[in-house]
Amino acid sequence: MTAATGQPAVDLREPAGWRRVKNQVATTAMWVAFAAVLVPLGFVLYTVISKGASAISWTFLTGGPIPPNVLPAGTGGMGPAVIGTLEITGLAAVMAVPLGILGAIYVNEYGGNRLLARVVRFMADVMTGVPSIVMGLFIFSIWVLHFGYSGLAGAFALGCLMLPVVIRSTEEMLKLVPNALREGSYALGATKARVTLTVVLPAAIAGTVSGSLLAIARAAGETAPLLFTILTVTSTNANVFSGANTALSAQIFANATQPYLGAQSRAWGAALTLIAIAFILLIVARFVTARFTRFSS
Amino acid sequence: MSAVAQADPAAPAGSAHPLSHRRPLGDRLFAILAAAAGVLVLVILALIAASTSQQASSWFSTEGWSVFSVDWNPGTNSFGAMSYVYGTVITAAIAIILAVPVSLAIALLLTEVVPRRWAQPIVYVIDLLAVVPSVVWGLWGILVFAPWLQHIYASIASGLTGIPVLDSLFGAPVSGASFFTAGIILAFMITPIVTSLSREVIATVPAIDKEGAYALGATRWEMITGAVWPHSQGGIVGAVMLGLGRAMGETIAVALVIGASPVITSHLFAAGYSMPAVIANQFGEASGEFRSALIGLGVLLFVITIAINLVARGVVERSSRRKRGA
Amino acid sequence: MQLRYRQQVAAAGVSVVALALVLGACSSSGSSSTAASGGSGSSAPAGGSSSSSASLTGTLNASGSTFQLTFQQEAISAFKSIQPNMTVNYGGGGSGKGRTDLAGGTVNFAGSDSPIPAKEASNFTGKTILYFPVIIGPITMAYNLTGVSNLKLDPVTIAKIFSGSIKAWNDPAIKADNPGVSLPSTPITLAVRSDSSGTTQNFTQFLVDSAGSAWTLGTSSTIKWPSSARAASGNPGVAQVVKSTPGALGYVDYATAKASGLSAASVKNKDGDYVAPSSASATAAAAGVTPKPDLTFAAVWQGGASAYPITYQSWDLVNAKQPNANDAAMLKAYLGYLLGDGQKLLAQIGLAPLSSSLDQQAVAQLSKITS
Repeated sequence: MTAATGQPAVDLREPAGWRRVKNQVATTAMWVAFAAVLVPLGFVLYTVISKGASAISWTFLTGGPIPPNVLPAGTGGMGPAVIGTLEITGLAAVMAVPLGILGAIYVNEYGGNRLLARVVRFMADVMTGVPSIVMGLFIFSIWVLHFGYSGLAGAFALGCLMLPVVIRSTEEMLKLVPNALREGSYALGATKARVTLTVVLPAAIAGTVSGSLLAIARAAGETAPLLFTILTVTSTNANVFSGANTALSAQIFANATQPYLGAQSRAWGAALTLIAIAFILLIVARFVTARFTRFSS
Repeated sequence: MSAVAQADPAAPAGSAHPLSHRRPLGDRLFAILAAAAGVLVLVILALIAASTSQQASSWFSTEGWSVFSVDWNPGTNSFGAMSYVYGTVITAAIAIILAVPVSLAIALLLTEVVPRRWAQPIVYVIDLLAVVPSVVWGLWGILVFAPWLQHIYASIASGLTGIPVLDSLFGAPVSGASFFTAGIILAFMITPIVTSLSREVIATVPAIDKEGAYALGATRWEMITGAVWPHSQGGIVGAVMLGLGRAMGETIAVALVIGASPVITSHLFAAGYSMPAVIANQFGEASGEFRSALIGLGVLLFVITIAINLVARGVVERSSRRKRGA
Repeated sequence: MQLRYRQQVAAAGVSVVALALVLGACSSSGSSSTAASGGSGSSAPAGGSSSSSASLTGTLNASGSTFQLTFQQEAISAFKSIQPNMTVNYGGGGSGKGRTDLAGGTVNFAGSDSPIPAKEASNFTGKTILYFPVIIGPITMAYNLTGVSNLKLDPVTIAKIFSGSIKAWNDPAIKADNPGVSLPSTPITLAVRSDSSGTTQNFTQFLVDSAGSAWTLGTSSTIKWPSSARAASGNPGVAQVVKSTPGALGYVDYATAKASGLSAASVKNKDGDYVAPSSASATAAAAGVTPKPDLTFAAVWQGGASAYPITYQSWDLVNAKQPNANDAAMLKAYLGYLLGDGQKLLAQIGLAPLSSSLDQQAVAQLSKITS
């Protein structure tokens, strides 16, 4: 071709010179960025696992009360904090997940393009950005000042944090359910509530469950809302509705500023426990998504 | 149900039917319940604004405009918030400057570079990063990261003494727990959210534009700058702003590693303080006007993050609407 | 379909019942507020002023001085075997918080390292407050400097460091105190208290007494430190800052510094000798102290050859008039323990026991707690 037309040889298969270099540099930069994220993550996990593993034992996870900071590692345990985290996060989930699913149903199924639905959708998105500490101050102002510190107050604060996240992720899942399913159910004579509860929601259940699990994992790790609502104590409080309580995240925060090695070792152990809980929830969420999703984008 | 339906198959659902008056009631109740759950969001937001402002009102009325002064001294009952606002802005700015290039790079990696099958492990890594609790970042930060960084800061500072601009940014005094350390940890924490939002935005770029660019002989980088970037600009700006809002509101990790020293200084390696950090650290022992001042800082923070969020959502909505229209 | 409808109604009914239960629990939690104003439980006959043979039930809440924190935590654990049905909670939070909580009635006793200052006196009008001295101990100059083990500091040097005029470890003034020791050029990071603290009060009182014109920031439980100082909450917080920051210098009480593994500097005393903080040097400092009739005194900057100059003290403050007999009995039992067998715990944490005459006067004052 070049010989016939007399034009200079242009190889159209390979970009030349600078263009190729720029492309290569860009691709390398992207991989470097990934490594830049991988390294600190690995570092954190390695530190938590190595320092926390020595503190973890059955007594650590279930024994109590939490000893004074001065005492060395091995005395007492973090049982009260584990129980506190489980009961407070559990109560928050029980409150926020059903309400969040209902809210998403409203926005997606009933709201349509009405003004109220659009405002609610927008505000739910905005609410995901409210800082967790402001949620804590909010519950402090309207609940703790009148009814005292309790696990319930902490659960309210965590529930308020979880609610918009559950609404948003459930709404995304509901949007993916094909309209044909709904119309087929209407055609069979079902009311809107029945269609939503018995056809649409089960179709979206995998994504809903995994979204809720992720919201719960995030709530379990939150500290700031609990600082103003549960008043970190050292013994187990089985009654989540009244009386001050404690949680793993609040204990880690209290212990991180202590100079005593015993307190720090307990903090690492609690951190490992907390990360383990969050990871388990994350893995279950991913498994549910992978295995049970019926409709995906 | 089947008995009723078979009794009158010609009648469409919900129409005049002997038993149809029972169905709309349960249906209507459910609709009301769902609407109430949706409205709950609005109610909570309104309550947050109202109750925290009411608690903070004594601070606002006592201080007036000097809420923005630099003098914060519980001993003399003067509470000026400027140094905390400064710290919040600076740490968030450092976090954005560090996190945005990295997040965009990873988002591009996932959408353009890596084949589908291999994208999963990278997504898992980002998920892991997102699930590490803030307090664990703070614990690792103050006990491990900050002492290690102090040596690095000290060497950088001693290397830069005398150089005009760099010295005032990165020179002495240095502290392991400082604005910059808080900024780095914030960057780690907002990377997952900026990455996933950017991915969503980049995924909406029409394949036809990308393939067209390749067909014209563009390299991958040229395709990204030529086809992806113009389409996803607005969305990415929105994603960055959401990351900014998150960085400003982050409390516990910052409270532990920022150094608890309320100063306004250009030295990024010096210890500082931020609004959520001071609230977390000092709320337990505050009472009276001190407590009102701390809640007032919370109100300021709420207003700032809500404003950023509103603007970000607006930007994302506008750019996606433009794309859909086009 | 009718079955489904009934199921829906049943679900609604169950949720209404559940909501009612939650509201019921909330209202019951409202009546039992966690801000306990005193012990609950059956009142028991008050036993002797020290370890009571009668079993007491209830909870004592306290907060305040973190100087006492280590001692209180050890004493509370040991006291559990003497009075198993009594719970004592000591929350720390700084001397200022303790006094505020006592004025507000949210605690039974408060730990404070200084007597109630004039500007807080109005919170206590109409109440008689009893001071029970419980511990005497050193405030250490804790530092983090690798390679320097026996740092010596002069009060004037300390004053200049904490005012911010001396900024680096290799300053001539510090070198003059430590001839022959090679000091690095590391900048000094000050570690100070962010909360209202009796330790701060006593430390600054020492600087006022000893350094004269070199110290201009006055004495109070909160000080406007140089802006580069790192503030932390409680003695353990300051200890943590010193421990994790190379080149840091802070004022930490001896028990906390020892438990944290920090190095402490020797300070020049009134007689001109450099004395290291220890139980013995604190006892020497307290030896010459004469308390006022209400048992308040100041142990800083005392003379004596082997006296540690920054020795201070802490009291437990109690309302003389208690709301009920059980509270009075519990306070007498616990405070009596602190003044009696509890003093033996002090040796383990490195604090000095009270002198026997001071201890006797304090025990005699226990009878003034009435209900």
